[in-house]
Parts: sequence; structure tokens; C-alpha cells
Amino acid sequence: MLSEAAIKEIEAIRAKYPTARAALLPAIYVAQREFGWLSPEAYEAVSDILGIPKAIARGVATFYAMYRHRPMGRNVVQLCTNVSCMILGAEKLVDFLKNRYSLEPGGTDPDGRFSLVIMECIGACGTAPAMLVNEDFYENLTEKYIEEILGKYK
Amino acid sequence: MITVNINGKDIKLEKAVTVLEAARSAGIKIPTLCYHEQLEKYGGCRLCLVEVEKMPRLQTACTLISADGMVIRTETEQLAEVRRGILEFLLINHPLDCPYCDKAGECELQDLVEKYGTAKGRYMEKKRTVPESLEDPVIVRNMGRCIACTRCVRMCEGVQGASAIAVINRGGHSHIEPFSGGRYDCEYCGNCVSVCPVGAIMSRLHRHSYRPWQVKENIETVCPYCGVGCTVILQVRDDVIKRVVPRIGSVVNNGMLCSRGRFGYEFVGNRERLTSPLIKKNGVFEEATWEEAISLVANRLKEARDGYGGAAVAGIASPRCTNEDNFIFQKFMRVVLGTNNIDSSARTGYAGAQSFIENISGQGATANIIAGLSNSDVVLVTGGDPTTVNPILGLQIRSCAGKGGNILTVGHVRGLRHFNPAELRPALFTETLLLEGILHSLKNTKELPGSNPKFEAKIRELNISPEDIIKTCGVSEEDFNGFLKKLSGAANPAIVIGKELIQSIGSSYKLFLVLAINYLINGRVYLLSERANEQGLIDMGCTPDSLPGCRPVAYAEFRRRYETAWKTTIPDKPGLSIFEMMDSAGSGALKAMYIMGENPLFNLPESHASEAALKNLDFLVVQDIFLTETGKLADVVLPSLGWSEKEGTFTNMERRIQRLRKAVYRDGMEDWKILSEVAKNMGVKFNYADAEEIFNEISRVSPLHRDLTYNEIEKGNALYPYKGEPLRGVMEDIVSHKGDRLDAGDKLYLGLERPLFHSGTLSTKASALLHIYPEAVATISPSTAEKFSLKPGDKVRVTTGAGSLSLPVAVDDAVHGSLVMITNNFEGKGAFALIKYIADPVTKAPVIEGIEVHLEKDGTV
Ligand code: SF4
Ligand code: SF4
Ligand code: SF4
Ligand code: FES
Repeated sequence: MLSEAAIKEIEAIRAKYPTARAALLPAIYVAQREFGWLSPEAYEAVSDILGIPKAIARGVATFYAMYRHRPMGRNVVQLCTNVSCMILGAEKLVDFLKNRYSLEPGGTDPDGRFSLVIMECIGACGTAPAMLVNEDFYENLTEKYIEEILGKYK
Repeated sequence: MITVNINGKDIKLEKAVTVLEAARSAGIKIPTLCYHEQLEKYGGCRLCLVEVEKMPRLQTACTLISADGMVIRTETEQLAEVRRGILEFLLINHPLDCPYCDKAGECELQDLVEKYGTAKGRYMEKKRTVPESLEDPVIVRNMGRCIACTRCVRMCEGVQGASAIAVINRGGHSHIEPFSGGRYDCEYCGNCVSVCPVGAIMSRLHRHSYRPWQVKENIETVCPYCGVGCTVILQVRDDVIKRVVPRIGSVVNNGMLCSRGRFGYEFVGNRERLTSPLIKKNGVFEEATWEEAISLVANRLKEARDGYGGAAVAGIASPRCTNEDNFIFQKFMRVVLGTNNIDSSARTGYAGAQSFIENISGQGATANIIAGLSNSDVVLVTGGDPTTVNPILGLQIRSCAGKGGNILTVGHVRGLRHFNPAELRPALFTETLLLEGILHSLKNTKELPGSNPKFEAKIRELNISPEDIIKTCGVSEEDFNGFLKKLSGAANPAIVIGKELIQSIGSSYKLFLVLAINYLINGRVYLLSERANEQGLIDMGCTPDSLPGCRPVAYAEFRRRYETAWKTTIPDKPGLSIFEMMDSAGSGALKAMYIMGENPLFNLPESHASEAALKNLDFLVVQDIFLTETGKLADVVLPSLGWSEKEGTFTNMERRIQRLRKAVYRDGMEDWKILSEVAKNMGVKFNYADAEEIFNEISRVSPLHRDLTYNEIEKGNALYPYKGEPLRGVMEDIVSHKGDRLDAGDKLYLGLERPLFHSGTLSTKASALLHIYPEAVATISPSTAEKFSLKPGDKVRVTTGAGSLSLPVAVDDAVHGSLVMITNNFEGKGAFALIKYIADPVTKAPVIEGIEVHLEKDGTV
């Protein structure tokens, strides 16, 4: 079930667009935030509010790689391994996450605290390597810095 | 007039159609894959590319609209090259498993590759693989074969209106899935299966059991289930129906089917079918020869007739049997047994409602063209969900919404919820008030047209104060006014009347109100019909008060026509209705009954009383294709040939007469033939060589069917009133019954669920439909579930004043919080067992409203 606030939020989003379908993508984001990932319940909730059949909502969402199509940990780490980041050692950081946090690319640690998503460019080539944790942005990463950052997320 | 030139040939066009359509009209073939005539244009596969002079690039013929002077080429070296390329791309990810694929032989991709493709692919990388999905019991998906043409999606969304499947993922990974990714949760119409050009979505019913080229005959007939009367084509191999498909262009359903019509055919070959006549000896059935059984039936009926007179025998006809069967049935009852005691299950709603409507609005008032619904500007839906009762009619309402028409519903209609309905949901038991309110407000804005003075007098008598209505019904003033505005502004409106209205408290009064509303807005009425030949049976005279052609038996001048033709005298008094038959059987006044293709024990209220009544008879003969609950009580059971095993005609709810054809061979006799044999044994000759001869007699004696022949029917224009004026009968006084309004309070009430996937008990003999909807359930709202701490699958005992059933629970948020919904489809678990026979005094339809239900968790079962 979506919270009252989330329902209001989706309704407000709906009001900004000429058609329900146009409001689908942002509405799905709200549901994803509430449910943690795009579970069947998340789609059903959006479908009920917007009056869009749930199969269609799911079809649209699966087109986009950046939605969470699987259950994820409480925090999502999105690390870039594209050219600049790779040159500046992002792949070592991937190994570090694996060894230090039991975090495999595309996987979730055993405690469900973190999930790791390998990203293509996140537009921080000048300050590579870079990552996002949930909606927070971090650059000039080192192993130590990562430890410090992740310590903040429970 | 537009002229285009295709491949050097000038083609004149009335209007600007697509280049593809222009080419096809001139017999020029352009290869296509994503194009389908039933669907919205898409232009996705690029196979139909053509060269157009003065246009820089190749154009897709399926989307390009022709313009005057266009010069087009469809077969050039360049195009061949392009098509080869496209096909090569399509095959990149295709498993090329044709030898194992059921589609091979009718696969559009296979045919195109054979014609335009290369012999050898150059692709060296790994193919996308998607595992075969066998999660669904009816539809199997092999998405490795999908070419992403989206025909299925456009069908499901744009035409069927179910929107149950979508393209998922992106690029080379895209394919089609229902919401769950596995099992479908949809209307199971199978129309997606029809349009898929490859073997990506197919029916599991005939999986790997035949090849398309092994079908020698495509037999066109009529669906056995509901009153819409869809055209179906039976594909048969070795006397087994392998597949049922629609035909594009057929007049009622134009290439569409519903789940029952497409997947419900397996009852035909069901092993439980009766194979031999049965005679009960010392309480147990023994197989008997036809001679033995028929002479026994003849003797016992003769005894009853001669000993007690025709009034002591009665017969129940069948809305599943053909017109010919039913005609012979009533002729047998009237001529051989000398009685008008003939009725059917149509008495539980359709028959009474229709006579009520025809008395006011004229005969034939309900015979309106189903396809016309989609061209209405307003469709008002009352009495339940047409998309489950008459699904193909439901599609026409959806299509009306798609064309910008307004859908108005009294109550929540689930199957129309995505079609922008203006909905008024009256509180429980306040529907009458709401209808009064609507009528009252209409009366203030519209003039009475003056064409039906008797009716107008009645309308004028009504005295209602609308202010209270809105309050009591619990609808908002804004919604009410919006609803009315649309209704009163309608130019070409239609009103759909379903059984929920007909089987409710004060149904005749509600019908009166709806008809009055209809009169004021000058609309057309559609009366939903749950059985394939319900209308035909009435028109054949299988009613206690009318002769074939709907001529009242009470009028001597009408009787005379039949008496002359049949050289007999017909009793002048109307006979017993089906309910009166049960009463008289119970009291002992009725001695013998002949029941053809009907299961009254199950399909009438108060099964206990009916059971006692039928047991009380001296003699009961039941003729059917399965041994039903009623059959088990019989002295003699006669097996008959069923749908697809015999010739004949059905009349649908539009009063369109259509041909039923024999597709599979089975040993046995048609219902009419068995009756003729019994007649012969009773000394009356019924000499008919075949169904057509019977039909010729029908068209001779029934004014409604005058001059109609099988030939004429085949042309598809056998519609009521056939070559004549609508027959307005003698208008009787308009009497209706309002009934008392119940107070809802905090109680639970019984509701009759009419599922999309079942129709009577017949559909429960079709395994695919059973897979979709396997058992009787008690469906409750989430709030009721919470209140009783029930979850789906828990067993509950549902008890009313009439009976009690133990059922698993289903929870559905579309169910009203005060209702417990139960179907009447599963033997031994039917809702009618929970209903006492309380009827509307005018329509005689049983009241299935306000029946209090006691719900309790049931641990014992
Ligand atoms: S069977 Fe009908 S409702 Fe189900 S997915 Fe196919 S087209 Fe849609
Ligand atoms: S499943 Fe069939 S109809 Fe649907 S997109 Fe794939 S190939 Fe086309
Ligand atoms: S709508 Fe009625 S007649 Fe048509 S396929 Fe479905 S059950 Fe058969
Ligand atoms: S048929 Fe024209 S693009 Fe597919």
C-alpha cells in the first residue's frame, strides 16, 4: 500500500501532465521509492491511481534500465566504470566493494544494506572515479573515502 | 477520385486509402508483417517498403496514404534486396525451430523467408534466448520466436480493450509478457493468438497434436455459448475439433471471439458424455437399447396423457438446442401430448423481460444490431457487466468509448472501468430510486414524444421528488447532473439491460423506468442473453402462452393457423410456467415430464423443492448430452447429439437466424429425431428427413419466419423482422410491481456472479475453461475479508434461508462490501441452491437481491 503522502504526490504529478500516460514515468519513481523496487504491488498502486492498466505500466518501465527491477538493498550504490573512471581505478574499487562489503556488481550484500549497480557515465569524468549512493553524489573516490562514505548509510 | 499507378497499372480509388490497401484492392501483393487489417497501423517491420517516384526514400506501404498521381513500384531489385536484409535481421534472434513449432505451415515469417529470404544466414554471434513459458494453462509463449511486431499488443489494447500484455525490455531483448511475466491474468479471449504472425503465442489446447495442413475442412458455425451468436470456424481432424477460430468479416463478431467461444469447445469430446440410453431399474441406471428406451418413454407418456389428460404432462425445452429441436419439442408437447405446459429456463429472466418490453415498445424492440452499439454516442448500461455476460457485445461498448462515445453506468461495471464511464453507484437497494430520479429529471428537460399514449399516461402518473433521491442513493449531485446532461444530450443512444436488473426486487417497475428513460431519449434497447438460443426457443413457441412466431395461444385466430397445419386442436389456455410445473409436480397434479437439454434442478431456485417435485412425478424423461443432476432423477435418460454434431439454426439476441453445422461425426440422434421416434411410437407421424425440412415447416407456419430458407440464412440476412413489418401485438395494460425497498443495514447479501469464463454447467465440461476458472468460490470484498479474518483460499460456509454451501474464499476489491458473490456454474455448488423462489409478479423472474447471507469460517471441509 502506498502512503497517503505518496498517493497525493502521484496525484499532483498527474495534474501537471495532459494525459495519465505522460505522468507514468515520474509516478513510477514515487512508487519505487515507497516499495524499494518496482514490485508488482508498486505497479498496481500506480495503475490504480493513474487508471493505466498495470501490464502497460510494467511494459513502459522495463524499457528503462535505471528503474529498480529487482528488490534492492536499503541503499543503492551506483558506481561508474566507464572510460575515465576506469582509467583512474574504478575497477579496483569494484574489487574493494566485493572484498570489503561482499558486494558484487548487480548484487546485494547479505545484510541487505547495499546493492551495487555498475553505471555508465554519470557525467563526472573530470573528478573520476565517481558514484551515487541513493541520490547523493560523490567524486574523487578512494578506498578510504568510500569506507567513510558508506559508514554514513545504515 | 484518386488515381495511383502501381507497377504500371492505374488504380482508381474512391477515397485516400493506404498504398497497401490500394494495391490489395487491385490484387497486387505487398509483403507485410506488422500490418493487420483489424489493427491500428504501426509501420514497424518495414517489410512493406515500396518505391514511390519523387519521394527520396523507400516508403512503408501500410502507412502511406495514396495521393493522386502517385507512381509506385512494389517489386524491384532494390526492394528484393531490402526485404532480404530485413528478413535476415529478423532471423538473427529467431530460434529457427520450425520443425517443432505448431505455427509451421501457416507462419507468415516462414512464408516470407521462403519467398524473399536468403537460403543462408551470416550471423555468427549468440542468439537471444527466451525460455518457453508454460506457466499458463491455456496460452503458451515461445518468445524466442517473437519478432516484436506488436500485433498482439495492439489487439489486446486497441480492439479487445483488455491491455493485459505489453512489450517489455528494449531493443533486441524486447518481447511480450502479461503483467505477471508468467501466467496470464486477462480475459483469455485468445485474440492475441489469432493475430500473432509467428509461433510466439499459441493455444495449448491443440499443442503438437496436428499441423495446419492436416485440417481438411473449415466448418463455419455458431458459438454454443451466449446470445451474441458469434460465427466460429471449427478446424477438425479425424472427428476431433482441434481449434476454433473467428472469421474476419463475419457479421456479428468480425474476427473476434471471447474465451468461451474460442477455448470452450472441449466439452464435445468429453469422456463423460452419455453414450447409451439409460433406464432406471430398482433405483439404478442400466444401459438400454434405443428401441427399449423409446417404447418405454412412449408408453409411459401415453399412460399419463390418457389417464390424466394433457394438463398432467409438461415439458422443458432448451436454449442450447437448435430452433429445429425446439420447434419439434413444442409440436410434440402440443400435438402428441395435447398440452401447452412448455417452458424453459428463459423464464428466469429473459422471456418475462422481453414480453414486458415488447408490450410497451412493440414486438422486436430488443432485436437491435449489436455492432450498432459502437456507433452510438451514448450507451447506458444497467443490470451488470455486459463484458462478461455477452463479451462480444461488450467489445462494441468499449469501441463506442474508443470512438468518443459516452458510457454511462448504473452501478460499477468492472469490464468498462478503463473506458471513462460516467458512473452512478447507488447505495444497496436504492437503484429503483435512482432510476426514478433520472426519469424525473429527464421529464423536466424533454418533451414526451406522443407516439405511445398509453405509456405516456403511465409515465405522467409518476410523482417523485428528486432532492431526496440523491441523498438516499448516496450519489453526488455533481455526478448525477453530469450523468443526466450526457444522457439527455444523446443523439443516438442505446440502453443495455442485464439480468442483475431483471432478477432484482421490483424488476418490472425498474424495467418500466428504464423503458421510460429510453422512450424519452429515443434510444434502442439491448437485452442481454446468457444462452445461445434463448431467443430462438421463445420464437419457436417453447413458452406456455405462445405458438411459434410469438403468436399468443389464447387467441383462436392464431391457434387456427397451427391447428390446420398440424391437423389437431391446441388447448386454448396457456400452460404452466417452469415454476408452476415444479409446484404442480410437487403437489402431484403433474404426472410426467419431458426435459430436453436442461437442468432445472440446478438452474432454478430452491433445488431442494425442485428435487422433491421431480421425484414426486410418476415418470420423468431427460434428454441431454451429459448426465446432469436432473438426469439422475429421471426414469429414462436419452443421449442426444450436441453442438457441432448436428445441423440446424440458432437465433441470437438480435433475432438473427444463423446456421449451425455438423463438424464431427458421432453415433446417435438429434433431439428432434429422438422426439420424432417417440411420437411415432405414440402413433403420430413426424416425418422429417433432416433439419432443413423442419425449418421449411417453421417458415410455413410461423409468420415471423415467413419464406425463410436455409439458402437465405446462408446469405447472412435472416434478421427479424424478416421481409415484413414489425409485428406490434395487442398492447395489454402496463402493470409493474415496485416492491418494498429494503434497508441495507450491516448485513451481508447474496450476489450472483456471472463469470466471463463460464456459461451454465456446459463450460465446466471444457477443460481449458476449468483451468482458467476451476471451482466455485465465494468472492468477498477486502473489507468483508478483514471483518471475518478471511484470506483467499479459506473455506467458508455460506448460509441463507434456502440452503448452505461450503466454498473457498476469493477476495476482490471490485465486489461490493455488502455482497457475497457466488456463481451458478458448478454442479453441487450453485448459487441457486441458496435462493428461495420469490418472483417479480409481472416478469416472473426470480429475485436474487436482498437475500441475507450468514458467513462463517468453515474448518471442517
Ligand atoms: S487473451 Fe485476450 S485479453 Fe488475454 S492477452 Fe490475449 S488479447 Fe489480451
Ligand atoms: S508475440 Fe507475436 S504478435 Fe506479439 S509482438 Fe511477438 S510476433 Fe508480434
Ligand atoms: S460472445 Fe458469446 S457467442 Fe460470442 S464467442 Fe463469446 S460466448 Fe460465444
Ligand atoms: S507491414 Fe508496413 S511496416 Fe510492417
